[in-house]
Amino acid sequence: MFPTLKRQVILEAAPISGADYQIALSTTNPRFQDRVSAIAQIAAGEAIDQAGLGVADFGERCAVSIGAGFGGAQTMDENYHRLLAEGGSRKIDPMCVPKIMTNAPASWIAMKWGIKGPSYCISTACSSASQSIGLGAMLVASGTVDRCIAGGAEALLVPGVFASWEAMHVMTNDKCRPFSRNRTGMVLGDGAAMFVLESLESALARGSKILAEFAGYGTTNDAGDLLRPDRDGAARSMRMALDHGRLEPTQIGYVNAHGTGTIANDLNETLALRDVFGDRFAEMLISSTKPIHGHALGAGGALELLITLKALEEQIAPPTINFIDVDPKLGFEPVPNVARPFDADVVLSNSFAFGGVNASLALKRYEA
Amino acid sequence: MSDADGDLVEIESQLLDIVAQEGMIDRGRLNKDAVLLDLDIQSADYVMILMAIEEKWGVYLPVDEDLTEAKTVGDLVELVKGKIVEHKAKKATA
Repeated sequence: MFPTLKRQVILEAAPISGADYQIALSTTNPRFQDRVSAIAQIAAGEAIDQAGLGVADFGERCAVSIGAGFGGAQTMDENYHRLLAEGGSRKIDPMCVPKIMTNAPASWIAMKWGIKGPSYCISTACSSASQSIGLGAMLVASGTVDRCIAGGAEALLVPGVFASWEAMHVMTNDKCRPFSRNRTGMVLGDGAAMFVLESLESALARGSKILAEFAGYGTTNDAGDLLRPDRDGAARSMRMALDHGRLEPTQIGYVNAHGTGTIANDLNETLALRDVFGDRFAEMLISSTKPIHGHALGAGGALELLITLKALEEQIAPPTINFIDVDPKLGFEPVPNVARPFDADVVLSNSFAFGGVNASLALKRYEA
Repeated sequence: MSDADGDLVEIESQLLDIVAQEGMIDRGRLNKDAVLLDLDIQSADYVMILMAIEEKWGVYLPVDEDLTEAKTVGDLVELVKGKIVEHKAKKATA
């Protein structure tokens, strides 16, 4: 996968193709942007177009809140390589700093659409995007702004970052099989997804098509182990999202789990889900879509909220693919391999990150 | 004692060195029955131990079910020893 790596053990990843990156970069500003900013901008453009908005609709009453984990990973990687492997024989890209900085995607989106209110970049590993969206929704709900572009972007599939993840020993050399017996880890991915969060008044005033109501946000910190997930922290995050939206666990029709496919997350998340949903857990539709799009860290929560939104719209729970068999220690089937319909108005998406950061987002079907 | 047995004893001893060094634990406390939790081996220590194993024997061990089941130093050593032997056999036939 990476010719410059002398040794590469893991061969599975969920990349954006080189051709797609070319398209993204050809329509943006690659001289000043890492590809992470390019895909962030493409995704934001799609969301803004779908919402029927344009440059004239932003300005001071709008915010941008974009999560990212590794920032301009490719720029950093290539330039370190020039500096170290090539003995500094080639000059460093003078745009290194603005390309690498993790808040670059947020700033590029703000510049392109003239967003002059608050600009935030939350970098909390796998919870970056979920927290960014949660914060964006709070900014709108509090009346601070009328609109917020929120989401996440990640373009980390470069030799240095990949080798660093290999060294964590949490990636699989098989397939990503969340919650399944014989699961052996996660698969990294690149991606970006963005949302237009808007106050109800503003959306109604302009006759916008409302995709869903942002119904609840929960976020908690484990304050325990840096890497090992915590059952209580995860459960509190889900409960907080439900409480925030005055929702009952019985209203939830589908949960897009964090479901990394690692032993530790999937066990911990299952225990936390059981704590939150109690007797109803057995009949809940809960799946992980990470085997399809990969674990895109700083973009993960946004990609998964998008899937959760589509699940709500279509009333179909996407499956956990690559599922072999029930893990007796978990004792549950996460919509194995085949999608299933449901009938409910509320859905939930989870993100749990290294650092002990948990975030849960709830969406509700909008009824006029 | 056959060469193979001698190898295993050597691997075992080197593994204990790694656990002591990477887990920052007094080598004297690492007996077979010592419980990993009691030794205060944290998640980050596991990552360091696995990396050191990979560097020494070239075997990549994901944090999988077997590994998380290890409760004692003896469990961990037996498991990793098995995987190293398996890896060596695979390399020999490849």
